[in-house]
Amino acid sequence: MVQESPLTPQVHPGPRGLPAPRWSQGSTGLAYAALALPAALVLAFVAWPSLSTLIHSLLALNARDEATGFAGLANYRALFAQPLFGHVLANTAWFTLAASTLSVLVALALAFLLARVRGDHPMARGLLVAIFSPTIIPTIAAANLWLYFLAPQIGLVDRLLRWLGLGGENWLGQPHSALAVMVALYLWKYAPYYALFLLAGMQAVPRNVLDALRLDDPRGALGFWRVLLPLLAPMLLFVTVLALLNAVETVDPIYVMTQGGPNNGTNLVMYYLYQLGFEFFAWGPAAALSALLMAVLSSLSALALIVLERRAFHWQ
Amino acid sequence: MAIARAIRQVGPGLLLAALALVWAFPSLWVLFATFWQAGHFTLVHLSQAWASAPFGGYALNTVEIVGGLFFAQALFGAAVGFVLARYQFPGKGLITALFLLQIVVPLYAVLIQEYRIIQGLHLLNSKLGIMLPYAVSGIGVLTFRQAFRAVPRELEEAARLDGYGTLGVVWHVYLPRAIPAALAFAVVSVTYHWTDFLWPLMVTNTDAARPIAVGLAMLAQASEAGLQWNLLAAATAVVVLPILVLFALYHRRILAAFTASYDW
Repeated sequence: MVQESPLTPQVHPGPRGLPAPRWSQGSTGLAYAALALPAALVLAFVAWPSLSTLIHSLLALNARDEATGFAGLANYRALFAQPLFGHVLANTAWFTLAASTLSVLVALALAFLLARVRGDHPMARGLLVAIFSPTIIPTIAAANLWLYFLAPQIGLVDRLLRWLGLGGENWLGQPHSALAVMVALYLWKYAPYYALFLLAGMQAVPRNVLDALRLDDPRGALGFWRVLLPLLAPMLLFVTVLALLNAVETVDPIYVMTQGGPNNGTNLVMYYLYQLGFEFFAWGPAAALSALLMAVLSSLSALALIVLERRAFHWQ
Repeated sequence: MAIARAIRQVGPGLLLAALALVWAFPSLWVLFATFWQAGHFTLVHLSQAWASAPFGGYALNTVEIVGGLFFAQALFGAAVGFVLARYQFPGKGLITALFLLQIVVPLYAVLIQEYRIIQGLHLLNSKLGIMLPYAVSGIGVLTFRQAFRAVPRELEEAARLDGYGTLGVVWHVYLPRAIPAALAFAVVSVTYHWTDFLWPLMVTNTDAARPIAVGLAMLAQASEAGLQWNLLAAATAVVVLPILVLFALYHRRILAAFTASYDW
């Protein structure tokens, strides 16, 4: 098992001790030619906007987002002074924590259930399509449906509750229940997708390990904690980071269902960034928030990438 | 004991069936609300919905954007993945890091500056403007690099002895063996861009370049006041039916490719 890091070039000897093939050492012209356009695109549309985001967060910006001078940390101070900022941060923290924890737990349960029911039975196939339908529905379409289900009086949820003698609740009308609805929507939308990754991770558990577990420990509780979970741990970490990233980036259902309301109860950080810039034209605080978001999201993605690289791409 | 064993055997299946019902309920309801009225099958809602917004144009835009992006990402991913898998050259580490940067910085983290760039290029309200920031995918590069590394060198040697050049070797030896990886990457790429919303919303301001997710949001906001729920359900059906049918037909191959390519 050779660990190679992405930054150390590796030497490929030719097969059976023959000298390495000429082309892999020689014709780097072709290699550079193949790299030129994609590298230029990444420089222009990833590297440059990242740098530009950092620079703009330190510039004084007018209402038309034009730089009028150097501002130091004034944009950051202005952002922290915004009356909404603390509220949005608290919303985002609650939402991210609840949504990612619950979705990973449900995904884990789904993956174990799916692993048992895999088969060619038409029932099993129907189940798969049913469970993965939220994954392929655009969030916007799903949000429309949920909006209808939750509408007071005419919505299915309210009608069902009234039939049970309860109800009369305007779920999207109160800040706390509205945020809880957002968590439920996230759970419904993403848990099956994460289960797909965990299911793929479970394929990597050797067959004989599973067989041995089935013989020694038919109830599976000990095997689950001592054997399966440690084997799944890297994939679980990757999925958790993915869940955190998706939670922090959540914006579509808010745009359609609540516009951040009621009383800013569902105003999450990505929607707030959009509002700061394109609705309030507060470009200075928006630039500062963008730079902070870049720091958080990039650290999270880098973490996911390290897990991915170590497990999948260099662990051969 | 017999009962306990029976529960253990059918228990997971039953539990999963119950969960599947919960998860599929919105999709099932869409079908019901769209095609069923007063005890009859009907296509009235569907035709009304189709007429209420330029869905043909939205669908075409979506196919162009999602298909074009997958084509570009797969092309660049295969080219860069091949070079990184099989070539040695000075600066390789730096080049690899550049493509990893694409994964590390999500577009939404640098939304405003990305918007300024597209604005500066006069590409607002164009499909190219939506696509350019996504044209190269770091995940695509890694996926293809991994698939190409798994190809035995002997196959390549044999092809070279048969007189193939580098492009011939790539075409005849490497690409056919990367098809499962390409399919798995297609799942990731297509589901992301097909459901992507805020970026296309910001870049477009007329129906000319709008993809279907943005068009649907426009329709929802317009109809929310009038509460035309059946119409909205039918419009949603227009959007989700094709992809649901595709997934129902090919889900086994899709799931198999996915689990085979990401089986770490």
